[in-house]
Amino acid sequence: MARPSTLTFDRGTLVLHPPPKARSWLEHCTWDDRVERFRAPAQAYRPLLEGLRAEGVTVLDRAAAFVPLEIGPAAHPEPFVHQREALEAWTAAEGRGVVVLPTGAGKTLVAQLALRQVARSTLIVVPTLDLMQQWYAGLLAAFPGLEVGLLGGGSRDDTPLLVATYDSAAIHAERLGNRYGLLIFDECHHLPADFSRVIAEYAIAPWRLGLSATPERADQRHEDLAALIGPTVYRRSPGELAGQALADYREERILATLSDDERARYDALIEKRNRFLAEQNIRLGSLEGWQRFVKASGRSRAGRAAMLAHREARGIAFGTESKLRVLAELLARHAGERTLIFTDDNAAVYRVSREFLVPAITHRTPVKERHANLERFRDGRYPVLVTSRVLNEGVDVPEASVAIVLSGTATVREYVQRLGRILRRQEGKTAVLYEVVAENTAEENVSRRRRGEEPLGASVQPPAPARPVPHLEADETPVVPVRWEDF
Amino acid sequence: MLPSELLMLRYRGEELVPKRLELSERSRAMAREIIDLYAESVGRPKFEIEERLELLEGEDTDYRVKRGLAHLAETAFAQLEVRSPLEPQALRERVFSASAGRAGDPAARARALAAVAEDLAAEGLPSSGAALQEALYADLPENHILTAFEPPEPDALLHRYNLAQAQGVLYRAFELVITAHRNDPGEYKQLFRYVKLFGLMTTIEGDADHGFTLTLDGPTSLFRPSTRYGLSMAKLLPALLNVSRWSLTATLRPRRDDPNAPETARFTLDSDCGLVSHYRKDHKFDSILEEAFAARFEAARTEWQLEREVDLVPLPGSAMIPDFRLVHPDGRSYLLEIVGYWRPEYLRRKFAQVARSGRSDLILAVSERLNLEGAGVRVSELPPGVKLVWFKGKLDPKAVLAALEG
Repeated sequence: MARPSTLTFDRGTLVLHPPPKARSWLEHCTWDDRVERFRAPAQAYRPLLEGLRAEGVTVLDRAAAFVPLEIGPAAHPEPFVHQREALEAWTAAEGRGVVVLPTGAGKTLVAQLALRQVARSTLIVVPTLDLMQQWYAGLLAAFPGLEVGLLGGGSRDDTPLLVATYDSAAIHAERLGNRYGLLIFDECHHLPADFSRVIAEYAIAPWRLGLSATPERADQRHEDLAALIGPTVYRRSPGELAGQALADYREERILATLSDDERARYDALIEKRNRFLAEQNIRLGSLEGWQRFVKASGRSRAGRAAMLAHREARGIAFGTESKLRVLAELLARHAGERTLIFTDDNAAVYRVSREFLVPAITHRTPVKERHANLERFRDGRYPVLVTSRVLNEGVDVPEASVAIVLSGTATVREYVQRLGRILRRQEGKTAVLYEVVAENTAEENVSRRRRGEEPLGASVQPPAPARPVPHLEADETPVVPVRWEDF
Repeated sequence: MLPSELLMLRYRGEELVPKRLELSERSRAMAREIIDLYAESVGRPKFEIEERLELLEGEDTDYRVKRGLAHLAETAFAQLEVRSPLEPQALRERVFSASAGRAGDPAARARALAAVAEDLAAEGLPSSGAALQEALYADLPENHILTAFEPPEPDALLHRYNLAQAQGVLYRAFELVITAHRNDPGEYKQLFRYVKLFGLMTTIEGDADHGFTLTLDGPTSLFRPSTRYGLSMAKLLPALLNVSRWSLTATLRPRRDDPNAPETARFTLDSDCGLVSHYRKDHKFDSILEEAFAARFEAARTEWQLEREVDLVPLPGSAMIPDFRLVHPDGRSYLLEIVGYWRPEYLRRKFAQVARSGRSDLILAVSERLNLEGAGVRVSELPPGVKLVWFKGKLDPKAVLAALEG
């Protein structure tokens, strides 16, 4: 009797041997002279097997290494109408497709429901460590019986339910490719990049879900998402969903004064830098001017010296001792209150953490420690937390009544998101946001730009943060059996 | 190897030329400076070393060369470790819990630290509040302590540097073609072991007279050329340097952010390149059996010459590398493979290889101790031209010569 045709997984590809007596598979496979076998890209797994099945041919599937997940009964919040519709649309597309929902509209719940429905080994890919932490916390709560593993951010777990960063998942794409039945891509507009697309290409996963608020890419590569994940199956804009609310807080700006030594050093450095810029006829106001400065600094000794001077001056302005003196005062004034301290550079975060003995979160904090720190901040065991910019986007920042911005970059969006999401009135007190700025340095202008002001601006209106969609209808979870499941 | 930002390459048309330091007194002085800096920094944290390096780099534009040398000195010759009385993550948890709510009160913070230090002392981990504060972030790379450094000779560091720059070119390679000539089987075997270890695949074409062409890429290269295997190719380079006679051509896709780069670039290198490998030459493939045979053959009186430099026998997905080549002055030549090894899978594979090679200039010397039938090997399935010599204990050159002339 002839040997049965066997499908195996080989580092991001499929090898089919000996060739089955059928024809549909030929469109997916290429003859590989190197091994004298037929080979197909891993992502052809599902169409390849569907084709063979339609022809009534069976092959031995040694490729799939994903397993059923034992998901016990567990509580999850009732889905909103748009979440249920999104899930239904994805299910109707046979479990392949992209769901586009605005930030704050609860994409995570859609993903959890999809996971519950497929109930196979699942890989969740996220762009940042803070999102990784958020998924981790969410999955722990939603699936208490399952072990949740992390790949990236200081962890290297190997579990049937795994949350990975795009970077780590891409690095391990050959190894992960056949282990997951369902792939979930959060912020899936990151996927089509050269380096990360292999996560989808080298994977056999029959089910794929992409989530994004803004899938469009400037380089048009979002068109590849259809092949990598599936078509856009559901889309809602913020206008269709969001309500409005105003946070109840006030702002206070505190100027920190440089010490005499710092002042002298700062002035000397800026003077040195400006002399070089003037000689080279470079103006720093624009991005182009900055790029010319960077180039010049690589070409000549004087340029490099000017760049070093610029960096040191920036360090003095952003990390000045006087700011720490202000911080000490503020911490004493708000003792016992839920306080978040923001600063732009990690060195300052660790300095604050070490001096004031408060826990820190930066992009280098191991994800599990980050999770523990946020949990403790939420339940009050840690009243103060210091962090760099990692808590900015798309993350459930715990509420605080005091926020202290020690330094930051000029991105307006970042500032708006920080303000809107964090501050809540507590125990009868109005929440407050302090911005500590070094006096008479370049940072003052950064601060104005950050507020969306012209260099000398009027008062600031607190922005209106997006609020979750109102709960329209409490319905039972849609449980639609997945058809593509004999694998 | 070096991170991309420390690579220094230039283009000559489509040809890529990596940075290469002369083994001059000037380069040696630069290397020595960095080696000395590390040697003097044992016991110090990494951020201090970085600060000293920055001073040493100064305002010169060649700071990238120095930084590259420092990177290699550190990754290849230094050891950095976390030093803390307690695992730092656990230490942080204890300290931050003890000081919770006291951030605005310096005296209370100091008391909290002292209390943790006292607790630790009671657990047999004597420490002080100040030391704990110091160790809070001992796990951050910049706080790691340089615990050991084995200073290399300046030339060794320069060799590493030149090799690393050449390796860096290959990061962006999507195809690597090696032309290899007759080489020692041990060298070949080691090279193929590395090819396999790094997940690369080879296609072998050609013959010993014109050279063998080894085309290296990876599984998915079949569908689309991919720079994904470039890192593996870079790791392979030091293994290739341990082979005696070869040349290579890499085709690569330069980074898109380099305005001087062509669409596709080429990099070539050969065995006379002067680069020095730090991979050890491994001779464990030379079994005692083969060595003993070579010694006996020398004593035998015959016109046949026994050569260690063999032909590659291409096979789908791999190559067979025989142990010896026998050459007669009249032009006849045979490849000799000694099979004295006894694991059943190995025997099955070896015989399957010979059967698939289709070669008729092979002699297999097989130990009579081997239970071929038991291993599922059928001698009758070998190609007709393959000569079989049986031996007990030791292989006698006479038996091999008899088979040749017979």
